Amino acid sequence: MATSFKTFDDNSTAITRNLLHEAIPITGSIVSGTYADLNIKNFSHGMFQSVYDYPFLSSSANHIFDLTAGYPANSHLASAGNTQNAKKINIYNEMAQVLVGYDSAGAIREFDEDGDFAAVGTKNKEAYFINFSRLLTKDEIKKGSFTLELGATQAYATPFTDRITLKDTNAASIYKINSPAGEYGILYVSNSAGVPLDGITGSTQQAAGLIYYQAGIAVVSGSVFDSLLSSSVQMNPAGEGVDAILTGSAISGNCDALRHRVRNISFNNTVELNSTIYYCRVNNTDFNYSSNPTYLSSSKLVVKNNSQDLPVSYMTTVGLYSPDNELLAVAKLSEPLKKDPSTEFTLRVRLDY
Amino acid sequence: MAFLDNSGDIILDAVLTDLGRKRLAQGNGSFRITKFALGDDEIDYALYDKDNVSGSAYYDINILQTPVLEAFTNNMSSMKSRLLSISRTDLLYLPVINIYNEGDSALNSTFNNYMVLVDETTIDALTDDKNVLDGGILNGYQPQNGNRLMRADQGLNTGEISKDAPISPELIETQYFVQLDNRLGFLTNPGTAGQGVAVSSAGFQPTSIDDDNIATYLFTSADNSGVVSRLTNGEASAVEGPRGTRVALKIAASLDLRTSTFLFNRLGSQGVTNITSASKTLAAADYRFIDSTMRVSGITTGYTLDIPVRFVKKTS
Repeated sequence: MATSFKTFDDNSTAITRNLLHEAIPITGSIVSGTYADLNIKNFSHGMFQSVYDYPFLSSSANHIFDLTAGYPANSHLASAGNTQNAKKINIYNEMAQVLVGYDSAGAIREFDEDGDFAAVGTKNKEAYFINFSRLLTKDEIKKGSFTLELGATQAYATPFTDRITLKDTNAASIYKINSPAGEYGILYVSNSAGVPLDGITGSTQQAAGLIYYQAGIAVVSGSVFDSLLSSSVQMNPAGEGVDAILTGSAISGNCDALRHRVRNISFNNTVELNSTIYYCRVNNTDFNYSSNPTYLSSSKLVVKNNSQDLPVSYMTTVGLYSPDNELLAVAKLSEPLKKDPSTEFTLRVRLDY
Repeated sequence: MAFLDNSGDIILDAVLTDLGRKRLAQGNGSFRITKFALGDDEIDYALYDKDNVSGSAYYDINILQTPVLEAFTNNMSSMKSRLLSISRTDLLYLPVINIYNEGDSALNSTFNNYMVLVDETTIDALTDDKNVLDGGILNGYQPQNGNRLMRADQGLNTGEISKDAPISPELIETQYFVQLDNRLGFLTNPGTAGQGVAVSSAGFQPTSIDDDNIATYLFTSADNSGVVSRLTNGEASAVEGPRGTRVALKIAASLDLRTSTFLFNRLGSQGVTNITSASKTLAAADYRFIDSTMRVSGITTGYTLDIPVRFVKKTS
């Protein structure tokens, strides 16, 4: 019986899972400077600022992350007279609801410096949030790969003479799982250029933020521009410090100030690739003839002179079919592959999901 | 001593076809891969030079250098010719499927296709008797009334073997897929019985309709549909040598084509040549047409035949 299909048996498929990583470097000059802020989009609601990798009016632009800032209602900065006070509280609460969750009484928990909610530890009450685009983070940020380098020079005009780095040091093996938004790590601050930090010399001595891997959100404590430094930095051209702009400037102004001090951001993203591998086993008696119209001339095989010659065919495509003979997937060979009764192949066809 | 090349395990990345994506999105278990086939759409076997004086290594050198296209994601555009598994290696002839271009199943001699008249007005413009139309002109409004049909014969199309010789049983095609654009029409019984029966109830039900509106019908020699029949030895046929089976069908126009000109305006063209049948003529300026294809594929042998079909509607 002639046939053009071969049914897979029970041992013809395998399921695999691979984690693929890409390095994502974001240079600070793109975030602030290169495009004269044409790649920065502010919204009329004023709740956050979007950063693109190219002027956002261009169709070539890709959204890379959003910035926003906030504090809780019980922050010492909170005051009804502050610029966008309610919105800053809303932002902090929204991020805390999603990333930190609620306590046993149903109250929104605040970001904890070391993620230990059982102990009465330091809370990150005044925070900047960097929400990375799914385009960059894919399924998640790879643990232990996140680095954020910030300018820590006091003068606004020359922010990068002294620099600090926030890094999820040792997070590949030590990370937290008590967040409703997945796994997260502690961002530790250290000197990167000069010695701007005040008495901090160890790589895991001082926590200054959190990085949520699956959510793709970095939470940066406002203290990295203030109490952790020997000299507080000027966050805007007027020479105001971080507390002053968190209270007196709009969220967009805070985002501008943060962007001005971003030197570099880098991390590796992760894609979880699930694949089904179909083992297409082509035995010696399989697929030696073709239904190609050019295979025949007056019904006679053009590849044979007489009946004793071996038939031969040349495959270029593998089609995967449903029981109803519907073509569901196609794989191509890079070049024609000769098949005759003296040869056998196993073609591994991988279908990724 | 050199190492052995162990790269013989070939790994290919597959892409889902549009139909595959649709089945996956349906989430009802219809995305289920159970079998595979191999195709050779790009190969022109005429390049196989089995008389090359340089030796057998040169017979297929031109074929092996054929560049291969990336995968098409349209399920209808790939795997048009499939490789065949036949246990015998001594076959010198393989069956084909040819249009039986004779008698009441002849192609239209002017347009070299089958024309399907989609409504009563169009039929009345070409005949005073709904049962009598010229060759290749099908009554798509009431197919059971028409005297014309389409036939395709399967067998060995060679004069080197007697037509009375039996064809090898493993080369007889007993199951066919027939595919037709479901927006344009549907398949009906080839007979003339059942006149007066509503068109909708005379039609066959497709086994599936894909995302491109291509309906697939399955016919077998044992399904009592009257579509697939065994050709007897020596019977008049489109194949010169030993005969296999015959597929006979009619096409009914879809409700959209019968009642509306929308698809004719969107997919069709204005007529450029007058259509004649007996003594009547449908002027080119008075009709629009849509050209399509009906594909007949043998499930056993994988051979595929595309039959040109033109749907015609009188518009003025």
